[in-house]
Amino acid sequence: MQNKPRNILHFDLDTFFVSVERKRNPKLMGKPVIVGGQERGVVASCSYEARAFGVHSAMPIRQAKFLCPQGIYISGDYDAYANESKAVTQVIDTNVPLYEKASIDEFYVDLTGMDKFFGSYKYSKELKQKITRETGLPISLALASNKLLSKVATNEVKPNGQIMIDFGEERNYLAPLKVQKLPGVGGQTQTVLNKLGIYTIRVLADIPEEMLIAKFGKPGASLSRRSKGIDESLIIPYHESKSISTQESFLSDTINTEFMLSQLSNMTERIAFELRRQDKLTGCVSVRLRYADMNSESKQSTIRYTNQDHELIVAVKQLFKKLYSRRQRVGQLAVKFTDLIQGTLQIDLFAHTQEQIKLYQAIDSIKKQFGSTMVLRAKGLRTE
Amino acid sequence: MKFIVSSSALLKQLQQISGVINSNTVLPILEDFLFEVETNKLSVVATDLETVMRVQIEIEAKESGKVCIPAKILIDSLKNIADQPLTFNIDKNFAVEITSDNGKYKVMGENPDNFPKEPSADDTTSFTLESGQLVTAINKTLFAVSNDDLRPAMTGVYFELDKNYLQFVATDAHRLVRYKLTNVHCPQNDSFIVPRKPLNLLKTALPDNTDEITINYNSNHLFVKHGNTQMSCRLIDARFPDYKVVIPTDNPYKLVVTKSDFQGALRRVSVFSNKSTNQVVLNIHGSELQLAAQDVDFSFEGNERMKCQYDGEDLAIAFNAKFLIEMLNAAESDEVKVELSTPTKAGIIKQTEGEENEELLMLVMPLMLNQ
Repeated sequence: MQNKPRNILHFDLDTFFVSVERKRNPKLMGKPVIVGGQERGVVASCSYEARAFGVHSAMPIRQAKFLCPQGIYISGDYDAYANESKAVTQVIDTNVPLYEKASIDEFYVDLTGMDKFFGSYKYSKELKQKITRETGLPISLALASNKLLSKVATNEVKPNGQIMIDFGEERNYLAPLKVQKLPGVGGQTQTVLNKLGIYTIRVLADIPEEMLIAKFGKPGASLSRRSKGIDESLIIPYHESKSISTQESFLSDTINTEFMLSQLSNMTERIAFELRRQDKLTGCVSVRLRYADMNSESKQSTIRYTNQDHELIVAVKQLFKKLYSRRQRVGQLAVKFTDLIQGTLQIDLFAHTQEQIKLYQAIDSIKKQFGSTMVLRAKGLRTE
Repeated sequence: MKFIVSSSALLKQLQQISGVINSNTVLPILEDFLFEVETNKLSVVATDLETVMRVQIEIEAKESGKVCIPAKILIDSLKNIADQPLTFNIDKNFAVEITSDNGKYKVMGENPDNFPKEPSADDTTSFTLESGQLVTAINKTLFAVSNDDLRPAMTGVYFELDKNYLQFVATDAHRLVRYKLTNVHCPQNDSFIVPRKPLNLLKTALPDNTDEITINYNSNHLFVKHGNTQMSCRLIDARFPDYKVVIPTDNPYKLVVTKSDFQGALRRVSVFSNKSTNQVVLNIHGSELQLAAQDVDFSFEGNERMKCQYDGEDLAIAFNAKFLIEMLNAAESDEVKVELSTPTKAGIIKQTEGEENEELLMLVMPLMLNQ
């Protein structure tokens, strides 16, 4: 299998968080934009304009502000990013047979065998254009014979770049690059290598494997292989993380706890029905609330697998009570069920009565026929 | 202090009680055995503060005294010593020196005054039964005990004492086992909950024979005595759920199947079931029982059919296969009878024949099937 050349494509969305912010607010184009947490947080993403000032991701925000005081600092809306990422995933999903979502803004695609029909590189370029056209986000790509090389190459051609590395050229491509460009070579490894006088991958690749093992232990072997551009790791197909969720934004921010509890009850009931309709059980409930100042907080708790409204509502309310500590206006509430498993409820000898079971069956049959909002707990119908 | 003891006899007794000792204890002294020496008699005690076990061994000793000896190192050494008399020498600082034919071994003991006191058997009520009866009762009920610490009452076996019987009940809220011995007569109507760990220890420490054992209890503790072995444990201080009301008395449909066939079919089909729910659907009509399992995430499917005797309306009901398999293990007859009613009500499993003085009832709640 190793001898047969593979066609591995790596996609990386350029300055992803910044691109999403620019899509939402085009005035940010061409300006130094930095997305990252609060005062004590770190830079999550920054535009190329900001990088010119020496700002880079994972740098503390304070330091970034010192380097680039005129930058535009945004605390970030991770739901929006997740949604944009999903949109990109969808485009890729409908156009390729096998892909891996490596992170929120990175994808590996296995195009092996596509040559026969399309020409992998041509197809890749077309896909890149399609993504940018459909989502409005710039993206870079590299096509190579393995994941390692395609990732390194994408980083080299960013932003908005594309490149193909021919089979057999892996080692030559890597040779002139600095050792720290190799994934897995972090600060410490780099320091050790530099001390040994090794600055480029060319030199690293020439060093016998045994010497690297002697120096770094077991990881030395894979370091040696990677420096030669060898990487046999496979594309791990992407599965949508399993969760069911809903969120509710209020027209005006509220501090009415009773109203919020009522909303939570209503929301929980709606998605619990969805859970039952899909024949699923949840083992983990989380609640998120967004305050008027756009800061979000969330909490989750593990529960016994269930799909019963009354058990889930209790769990959700408990979470909310733990979460809602500041007396501040709330703009949005969200409820999410994760750790979903396929299956139906294990009836409990003491906690579930026959009446309750029949009640749920009756409610669900009404909901299935007439819509999920036809029957709700009165508790969930309170208005502001 | 000095005494001489047979190495194999000591090891055998220590292994009986070493299960009490937890690997991660709060107090270092709980990793020790307490040795109490009297003239020609040695008592060894192990405790985890909840459960205490004590054994007695014949030895050669002229003086009396006490010492705590680290359990693990002592057992590890005894395991590798061929059967022979060992001489234990303990000095004033509780240093222990063991002399064998092969050489000498030293280990630092600890001050026995720091060893936790055993609960005193005050104000107890007592009754007797055969050792084998208790072992069987534990084997038939312990598997159904809950692991859910949020419902402490269910993390032990409920002992129900009556002038005419002794009954054991265990449940994890999804299934329930009730095992009744009608030839044991208790002095008064009473009840208590015994935690899992001491029962597990008793199961291995007690012989499965007709030896008589004595059970003493008071409001906080249980004391069990068999020959030279004694155990005491703290009882669970919680109210056992009112299980009687959830046992259906009028399940109209009766299914009779060969136990080994049913168990085999469940084992095979459940391989293909969802690993979290172990759901297997039983479809019963006429004299045929169909078993079906599937795992949607992996596109697994398992189907089997088998012969059965069935008296009732056609029925589709889903159970956790793991529960059924464990319950069938507890039944001893060749055939079992399953009493059913609706797909959301408990199923009852009974032996078709059993010992004269015992009664076994097992109940399992179904998984809710969507219509």
